[in-house]
Amino acid sequence: MPSKVERWKDETYGMEVRDHLLRFAEDGWDAIPEDEHDAWFERFKWWGLYHQRKGQESYFMMRIGTPMGRMTPEQLRTVGEVAREYATGPVENPEFGEAYADFTTRQSIQLHWIKVEDIPDIWDELESAGLSTIQACGDSWRNIVGSPVAGRDADELIDVWPIVQELHETFKGNDLYTNLPRKWKVAMTGDRRGSGQGDINDLAFEPAIKELDGEEVEGFNVNVGGGLARKEPRFARDIDVFCRPENATDVAAGLSALFRDYGDREDRFNARIKFLVDEWGPEKVRSVLQEEYVDYELPTAGEDLRDEYDYNAGRADAAGDYIGVHDQSDGRNFVGLSVLVGRMAAEDVIDLADLAEAYGSEMIGLTQRQNVIVGDIADEDLDSFLAEPLLSEHSPDPHPFMRGSIACTGTEYCSLSIVETKNRMVRYGRWLRDNVPVPEGVEDFHIHLSGCTASCAQPQIADISLRGMKTRKDGDAVEAFDVGLGGGLGENPQFADWVKMRVPADEVPGYIANLLETYERERAGPEESFRDFVADRDEDDLADLAEGEETSYEDPYLGNTKMTWYPYAEDDDMNASPAPTDGHGEPLPSDD
Amino acid sequence: MADRVMKVNAFTTFDLLDASVEGHGFEEEALATFNVRTAREAVTLELELDNTALEHVPPHADRVTLSAAEARTLATELQNAADRADGD
Repeated sequence: MPSKVERWKDETYGMEVRDHLLRFAEDGWDAIPEDEHDAWFERFKWWGLYHQRKGQESYFMMRIGTPMGRMTPEQLRTVGEVAREYATGPVENPEFGEAYADFTTRQSIQLHWIKVEDIPDIWDELESAGLSTIQACGDSWRNIVGSPVAGRDADELIDVWPIVQELHETFKGNDLYTNLPRKWKVAMTGDRRGSGQGDINDLAFEPAIKELDGEEVEGFNVNVGGGLARKEPRFARDIDVFCRPENATDVAAGLSALFRDYGDREDRFNARIKFLVDEWGPEKVRSVLQEEYVDYELPTAGEDLRDEYDYNAGRADAAGDYIGVHDQSDGRNFVGLSVLVGRMAAEDVIDLADLAEAYGSEMIGLTQRQNVIVGDIADEDLDSFLAEPLLSEHSPDPHPFMRGSIACTGTEYCSLSIVETKNRMVRYGRWLRDNVPVPEGVEDFHIHLSGCTASCAQPQIADISLRGMKTRKDGDAVEAFDVGLGGGLGENPQFADWVKMRVPADEVPGYIANLLETYERERAGPEESFRDFVADRDEDDLADLAEGEETSYEDPYLGNTKMTWYPYAEDDDMNASPAPTDGHGEPLPSDD
Repeated sequence: MADRVMKVNAFTTFDLLDASVEGHGFEEEALATFNVRTAREAVTLELELDNTALEHVPPHADRVTLSAAEARTLATELQNAADRADGD
C-alpha cells in the first residue's frame, strides 16, 4: 500500500502546488485547513518551503536552490534584500541579529520566519533576478551540487557548468520527474579536488578519462546510491558506466526514471535509491539502465582522478576547502571566505554583493562547507580586496577551528532537531580558538554538528562528528552529543567511527581539547593527519582517546531547547509564543 | 563502535530513559531511547540501550509490533499503572 505521503502527492504535487500557495497567500495562514496541515506542508516542500517547528506556527523556512552554489553578485544582493525585508521574526538571534541567510551543505540558501502572505512578493523578487525555490525540497530533483568555480578553476578536467545548467533546465519543472519516491540528489564534479562530494549523493558524475575508439575521452564515471541519513550511510556505488559530457542528460534522465519506476513508494524509510542499489546490486542497476532507459551502448567506467582529491579528504598536505586565494584559469583569482556555520547577516550579504561588483566579479559561489567564494579578482586588486573590512568578519584566512565548522539548523527552527546547533557551534569555535593550541601543521579541522540523526550537517564525514542527543547531568536532562571521529571523503572515503554517546554539550569543548592533546602527543608526526591517526586505532583505543570535561566554556542552551518556542526569547516558554501570526506578524486569535 | 540503530529526533517518544538488560549471569544498565510509531496499520514499540554501556549484548534495538487493539490494551494498562505509581 502506498505511504501516506504518496497518497498526498497523488492528490496534488509539483507545479500545481504553486497555485495553491498563491491562494493561501491571498487568503492568509488561516485558510490552510488545520486538519490538512501535514498534507499541505509536505506538498509545499516541492516549492522550497518547510513549515517551522512547534511554537512557530505560520512561519516557514524558504530554500532557494542555486545550482553548484553559483550566483551573480546581483543575485546575491537580491537574496540579501529579500532576507532583510522578509526573513525577520518576533525575536532576534543573539549571535546573528534580526535578519540573515543560511548557506547550506548542498549549496542552497535558507531564509527563516517567512510568512505565507509574503511568498508571492518574494517569488517576484527572486524570479526577476533569475532565482527560484522550485524543487528546493521535496521528492524530486534537488539542487545540483558541484564546484561553483567550474570553468574558472585552474585545477579541473572538465568545465561542468554548461552541463549542470542543462540538467537544471531539463529536470526542474519537468512533469516526467516531478514526483519521485524520495529526494533525488545529484552531484557533478569536473575538477581534480573532488569538490562535488559525489560519494554522498544519489547520483554522482565524477571526472574520468576513457579510451574510446582509440581516442582518450574526458568525461565521467557514474556512481549511484550514496546518502548519509540514520544508521544507513552509503557511499555511491560504481555502476561501471562511463559517460561522455554530451550524454550526461540522457544518463541522468535514465537513472532518475529508473528510480521513479522502481523505487519503494510503500516505505519512506526504504525509499532512497541507496536501498534499491543494496537490493539489486550495481550490476543490475547498470543492466536495467541499459535495457530500459538509454538507447545507446553504455561504455564501461574509465580511469578516475580520485588519487588527486583533496576536498574534505582529511589530508595533512592540503586544506580540504576553497578558503583563501586561488588561481583562476584566466589569470585572475577566486577568494574563498569563511562563513562560520554558513550564516551571514542580511546586511553583510548585501555588502558582499556590492563589494564583488565593485571589484568586477561576475561570480559568487556557495560551497558545500557552508562558505562563500568571490570570483574574478584581478591580481592588481587582490591586496585591496583582501584589506576590505568585511573580510575581517568573513576571513580568507580564518583560524583552523573556525574554518572547519559546519552546523545544521537545529532547534532554532527545525522540527526534527533535539539540540541547539548554530549558536552553540559558534561558541565552541570561539572557545577552541581562544583556549586550545592547534596541533602543528593543522590548517583546517572539521567539526560537523548535527541536531539529530537526519545528518543535515553531514556529521559522518568530519574529523569530529557531533550528533544531538540528551543526557542527564546533576539530575537534570541536558543537551548532549554522540561523538564520531575520523570521517571524510577523498580517494578512500570513510564514515566516522562513533566512539562516545551522550557527552553533555558543555563538556564537548573539553573533550575536543583533550582529544587534540592526545593527538599531538601520540601521533607519528605532523605529517600524520587526524584522519589517519583515527584510522590507525581500533574501537577501544578510540573510545579511550579523551573524555568530556567541564572547562571555562559556558553553554547557555544546555536545557531542553526543543521545549521552548524559540531558544533565544526572553520568555521562551511554549505558551509565550506569538505564533501563529497574521501577515503583519500580529498574533492570530486562538480557537480555544 | 556501532552507530545507533534507531533514529533519534524530536518525534522520538523518549530520547533519555533509564534501562537495563538482564541475561543469565549478567545484568547491565544503560541509558536508552524508546519510540512508538505506526506503520502499515500497526503500532511498533522500539527500544535501544546505548551500546557503549553494554558488554554482554551486541549493539541492537528491540522491536515489538502491536495491533491497534493490543495498543489500546497496553495504553489502558499503562494508564492504570501510572495511576498506581502516582499513588505510591
